Amino acid sequence: MADPPRSGFRDDTAALLLAISGDRDRTAFAALFATFAPRLKAWLRRGGCTAEQAEDLVQETMLAVWRKAGTFDPNRATAATWLFAIARNQRIDAMRRAKIPAPDGDDPSAAPAEPVAPDQAFEMSDRESRVRAALRALPAEQADVIRLSFFEDRPHAEIERSLGIPLGTVKSRLRLAMTRLRACLGAGPDGELS
Amino acid sequence: MIDVSTRPPAPRHHPQEEWLLGHAAGRLASVPALAVATHLNFCAQCRETVRLGETIGGILLAEIPGEGVPADALRHVLARLDLPVMPEPAFHLQRELAPGIPYPSALLGLARSHWRWLAPGIRRLRLTVQGAAAGERAYIMRVGPGKRLPEHGHGGWEATCVLAGHFIDGSAVYRAGDLLEVAPSTVHEPISGADDECICLIVSGGDIRPTGLIARLLQPLMGV
Repeated sequence: MADPPRSGFRDDTAALLLAISGDRDRTAFAALFATFAPRLKAWLRRGGCTAEQAEDLVQETMLAVWRKAGTFDPNRATAATWLFAIARNQRIDAMRRAKIPAPDGDDPSAAPAEPVAPDQAFEMSDRESRVRAALRALPAEQADVIRLSFFEDRPHAEIERSLGIPLGTVKSRLRLAMTRLRACLGAGPDGELS
Repeated sequence: MIDVSTRPPAPRHHPQEEWLLGHAAGRLASVPALAVATHLNFCAQCRETVRLGETIGGILLAEIPGEGVPADALRHVLARLDLPVMPEPAFHLQRELAPGIPYPSALLGLARSHWRWLAPGIRRLRLTVQGAAAGERAYIMRVGPGKRLPEHGHGGWEATCVLAGHFIDGSAVYRAGDLLEVAPSTVHEPISGADDECICLIVSGGDIRPTGLIARLLQPLMGV
């Protein structure tokens, strides 16, 4: 992420989600659509969808946002993280319908129902800020593999070919990138929690 | 659900990092995904990795330049907001895996066969995993103390996640939550621990790519 980012979600994305869930506020929903739908489409396209498939999935995802807004809890996750998870789950559902292998279940983190302390919203937001800062501070070669491999789902071999780097480089750069990102959250290189 | 008040020791054998990230991105094939999801039921460290992946995804999604959507897209969605929603199918209350051993939440709701006896002290049931490709299998196996875990080789790839008890493979011990991935060419001799039954999730599939990830889609995603 060497370039400064275009403007991301509005700072009040969480407020929009809360208005959608609490008040069923359609103006808020329309505002979220305006910001989120084009980005969602771009992500789906980079992951391999045609424009038409992506547009269909954008519709399904925004419907899911409307229906599941009640599950958004700022003490558990930031708005951006929550939206990504909803989008990811809709894509999984679509792949499952198409009988392409996909993980089962709604919640890939598959966590047991652990109680979450209230008033964690600041911590969640702070955590996201630290990850964002760490992403921007990554050497370009590591940031590139995070984007191409993790976010755009390109196979390692394809990335290595297009970047002209040796086999196995993507794996090691991902490892380095994840180690740095974990360090910014205070965890050990394998994610050992303190 | 797992009782978190009597937390057992953390697993020591984890899925490879690419799988955890693939899982966070929703790109893991069904069979590795089931093994990962089950491991996550036991492993706070790997849940953190998945959460970190989701955080990264959220940040990148917020920053990606958008692509234009059709002008009437919002109107179409708004028209659907009030349509009735199909209720989610209710899970039948699952029996315990075994007396005193709760069902991991990752396995709840999967259709299952009856237990079949394979050999003295060894029985298994088969799980139905939606979206699984031909040749992919998922079983829960119960292996009596001191017995050898049967191989599932279709000559293909296999992963085992311990649900209860433990098994010993060479010099390594695999306990509840531990994940062991076995490459097709590996010869191994897992033996159930001497004091208790070992219960495992075993997933296998002949065609799993080494990365476990789904190939970027070349065919239409929907309307196949």
